[in-house]
Amino acid sequence: MKQGYKQVKRMTPAMRIIHWVNAICMVGAVITGLYIGHPYYQSFIADGAVDKYVMAWNRYGHFIIAILFDVTSVIIAYLYFFSRFEKPYKKVIPNGKNIAEFKAVVVNLLTLNRKKEFDSSHADSFNTVYFTIFHLLLAWMLLTGLQMYVHGLESGMSSIGTWWPWMLHLVTDWTIPVCGGTLMDVRIAHHMTMWFILCWVVFHIYYQVWRTIFWKEADIAIVIGGSKFVKDDSAN
Amino acid sequence: MSDRIETVKKLFTSKSSRVETNKGDTYYQELFEKCEARLNEMRSLTPANKLDFTDLLEENGIDRREFMKWASATTAMLMLPPMFTPLVADAAVMMNRAPVVWLELQDCAGNSEALLRADGPKIDEIVLDIISLEYHETLQAASGHQAEKQLDEAMEHFKGKYLLFVEGSIPMGMDGQYGTIGAKGETFHDHLVRCAENAAAVVAVGACATFGGIPAAAPNPTGAVGVMDVIKNKPLINIPACPANPANMVGVILHYVLTGQVPELDSLLRPKFAFGYRIHDNCERRAHFDAGEYVEEWGDVGAQNNFCLYKMGCKGPMTFNNCSIVRYNEAVNWPIGVGRGCIGCSEPDFWDKYAYERPMADAKIKAPTGGVEKTVDEFGLGMLTAAGIGIAIHAAASTVAGKRENSGESHE
Repeated sequence: MKQGYKQVKRMTPAMRIIHWVNAICMVGAVITGLYIGHPYYQSFIADGAVDKYVMAWNRYGHFIIAILFDVTSVIIAYLYFFSRFEKPYKKVIPNGKNIAEFKAVVVNLLTLNRKKEFDSSHADSFNTVYFTIFHLLLAWMLLTGLQMYVHGLESGMSSIGTWWPWMLHLVTDWTIPVCGGTLMDVRIAHHMTMWFILCWVVFHIYYQVWRTIFWKEADIAIVIGGSKFVKDDSAN
Repeated sequence: MSDRIETVKKLFTSKSSRVETNKGDTYYQELFEKCEARLNEMRSLTPANKLDFTDLLEENGIDRREFMKWASATTAMLMLPPMFTPLVADAAVMMNRAPVVWLELQDCAGNSEALLRADGPKIDEIVLDIISLEYHETLQAASGHQAEKQLDEAMEHFKGKYLLFVEGSIPMGMDGQYGTIGAKGETFHDHLVRCAENAAAVVAVGACATFGGIPAAAPNPTGAVGVMDVIKNKPLINIPACPANPANMVGVILHYVLTGQVPELDSLLRPKFAFGYRIHDNCERRAHFDAGEYVEEWGDVGAQNNFCLYKMGCKGPMTFNNCSIVRYNEAVNWPIGVGRGCIGCSEPDFWDKYAYERPMADAKIKAPTGGVEKTVDEFGLGMLTAAGIGIAIHAAASTVAGKRENSGESHE
């Protein structure tokens, strides 16, 4: 370790695994989802239909990814409140301390790191709010996606029992009026949210790289090694 | 605002679209006895017209066997077990005891056409022929004061018993002056409210009467709405589609004659027996959808091989209707069968949100302000580009003027 710096643990192995599962799922969901919305490559006409099954495989992949997202979302929602490491909900509550920190981080970004008046060793309020927005977008994708999925279970039955479509109706039917009243509005909302998420991802990657370059605290290492390095004031 | 509060309330109270196809033996036994009793009661009533169903069948060359085949198919369509077949057949014979008043509002009369213009009347059309049509603005011989008198008499005579069929939307703009009817110039709205007052139930037929349909499409100059937005205190059944399938109209009337009740409805008040299933799941081209075999342009190799029409804008995956099962004109054919996609005509706002003949991703959507139309992807890419430009500016500025922390290494 470099002289005068101390190592700060920021992400547990579980958090890092979830991060990369989500990141890979995201890429897969976009690739398969764009195909489902508008099939952008053609199957080979000469093959028998049974060998191709292209749309079905795309949908299968999309749904498996959705299930992985379901699982990670439940875990993340739990960790937001009950994590033994850091409870992110504490940074989202709009109290005076958090608002001040949020502003300080925005100022730091806008002044191109000329002003840095907050402690960057721990998770800051701005990033936590930004991550929370992502989780909400993802939850919205899950709800609208499951709403579209349950249209195919109109008999009220499924291979795992009748509770599944029943629960999906109970949990997601409200998205129809919220999106605009028709099933098509739910689709449009689902598709549009993908673009919001892509914009979110672009800024997220940029911002973490920017922090790494300008703060010189190895922020980019958090998501791989789990820790960053900050100046150890006690050593000076 | 109150509309919105109402919508939110509805969110958590609306019935799910789940279709229960088997409700258990006890339920059906009870229903069977109830229906039998009701049919016996109907039998004692004097028919409202002199048309005899059995004679009509014979005149049209339809034998008993064919009729019973129709009865069992209709029983299945109504999601009743086979033991109801004789009752359905009985009910069809007694259809001339069901008084119907038919209103024609803001529409193209396509639903009337649907039940009149069959190439040769089949059983569904014959059943619709013998219902006691007391008043039908498009079909009746009477006109002017005479027609109004007939309507008043029918409403008085069958008070609380007649079924009110409504075809067409209701213009609410300009105090409803966009559509008036009769010698007194009654607006469609007042006309509908007056006729609905003493009806046993109201049946909205076709896309316009159910959800406003094409008259209600953007920018909706007449302020058209569906019957469900006007009539709130009556049992209401929606039979959407453009036109509504005569098989489903017969189904609803038969169900009413048979049980005296409206059939089980979904959250959009559509009978579940007809609108409980998605077109996509019973489509003959579904295998091509799963295989990724799509018609890329009209008349291409895919089109010649009956490939899936999804990329030509088929909306079967988001449309609930039974036309992929019962088809139209007594199962002759249906839109996807003739090689063009579904336009979602049985769903609300279908003209604006379904019928654009492109996949959803290529559909033009309106900004919340009602302004510029872009596709979802154009809008999304625009957003992404804006984010990219913002980031590029910030990155460039940071490179030029940003302050790098001292990393502990010596700098010149």
